[in-house]
Amino acid sequence: MALLEVKNLQKSFGELEVLKGISFSMEQGENLSIIGPSGGGKTTLLRCLNFLEIPTGGSIAVGGRTLFDASDAKTVSEREIRRNRLHFGLVFQNFNLFPQYTALENVALALKLQAKSEAGNGAARKEINARIDAQCAELLGRVGLGDKLDFYPHQLSGGQQQRVAIARALALRPEVLFFDEPTSALDPELTGEVLRVIRKLAEEKMTMVIVTHEMGFAEAVSDQVLFIDGGLIAEQGSPEQVFRNPQSERTRQFLGSYR
Amino acid sequence: MFQTVLQSLNLGFLKALQIFGLTLLGGIPLGFLIAFGSMSRWKLLRFPVKTIVWIVRGTPLMLQLLIIYYGPGILLGNNIWGGSTGGRFTAAVVTFIFNYACYFSEIFRGGIQGVPRGQREAGQVLGLTNTQIFFKVTLMQVIKRIVPPIGNEIITLVKDTSLVRVISVYEIIWNGEKFIKSAGIIWPLFFTGLYYLLFSGLLTLLLGWIEKKLDYFKV
Repeated sequence: MALLEVKNLQKSFGELEVLKGISFSMEQGENLSIIGPSGGGKTTLLRCLNFLEIPTGGSIAVGGRTLFDASDAKTVSEREIRRNRLHFGLVFQNFNLFPQYTALENVALALKLQAKSEAGNGAARKEINARIDAQCAELLGRVGLGDKLDFYPHQLSGGQQQRVAIARALALRPEVLFFDEPTSALDPELTGEVLRVIRKLAEEKMTMVIVTHEMGFAEAVSDQVLFIDGGLIAEQGSPEQVFRNPQSERTRQFLGSYR
Repeated sequence: MFQTVLQSLNLGFLKALQIFGLTLLGGIPLGFLIAFGSMSRWKLLRFPVKTIVWIVRGTPLMLQLLIIYYGPGILLGNNIWGGSTGGRFTAAVVTFIFNYACYFSEIFRGGIQGVPRGQREAGQVLGLTNTQIFFKVTLMQVIKRIVPPIGNEIITLVKDTSLVRVISVYEIIWNGEKFIKSAGIIWPLFFTGLYYLLFSGLLTLLLGWIEKKLDYFKV
């Protein structure tokens, strides 16, 4: 059974139809890249999947359970949406780290707040928090920042900030991790260190959806590629198919601009 | 003579300090409430709130003192403040809180809206509630942004307290001025200036210290 199944997802802003019906599914451990021109709906798709925008049509299911169905009002309440978000993690183009917290605090914040609402303020919580800190420090170690735990975002380079953001998203153990152009705000030198982390996650079989303009990277790590243009999937298939043997004229034209 | 003047000025300054402290105590929370009102999604709330802020910021504080103190008695035939010294003081404090809350609210609104949308969204995708996002993510960044403009208002407030004399609350300048009539001396007035200078100097140091404390992160 597919881990993530998106059916006929639509999003309009007033008269403007940004997503015109996107459907795809992916298996556990799969890595899906989304490419396409700016304004084609890639970012809106990710925002819809993370419920930062509420889709105007279609459905989203995880592991066979429907999280969201535009035709079912029950699934669109604020509480329900907040709970459903936890199935997913999102890494932003601009990192969006919390500037007043250290790298470790950024990664640990959500877990600690969860522990607080579950365990209250007792002595047990101190122990829980210590465990969360250890766990988050280990995560930061995995993205190569074990020596930067107490650094504030402004003391880190863009690439380091993005790696903290990845650790922060991983801390909640999402079933699917989404990346919205994770290296677009970085210069080429820093891009490499972030891509290496994502590649490592792919090797560890993390289920990921990556919106990217790094065509070489998408071709190398993806199991599936979507080319989205004008709110629709213009081409879909293995990286081999999409990059080496594109069927649609639009895809050929778009990829041509990268050569 | 010197002793008499000093005693009188101290009393007046104490009154000014009370108004100053109570205005901050009431004006800051009320300012936050007004700020949220002026950012509300509901027109029915946002519109009246914005109108009130416009009126309060668009008219002199001195006029507001006079209307708030005398208005109820003359218009409603019921002086809700009572005629006593305490009543006049209460009217002054209420007016100040309301006036300063309106100024604060605009600073808070700017501070809150100045936090990038991505901060809120980062909190959302981490499953934080709106309350958690406000207190754990937004608030600290707002505070850092608003310390300088709020500092400005606070320094202004120190000196604005002298306006309460129009409804006969005896603050420090009133107490200094009375020696012109009774003793023909003006140096007590210069002295009042010294009180203001010292106090605003102290506040400047305090505000600078707070700014420095918040220097550990950048927004």
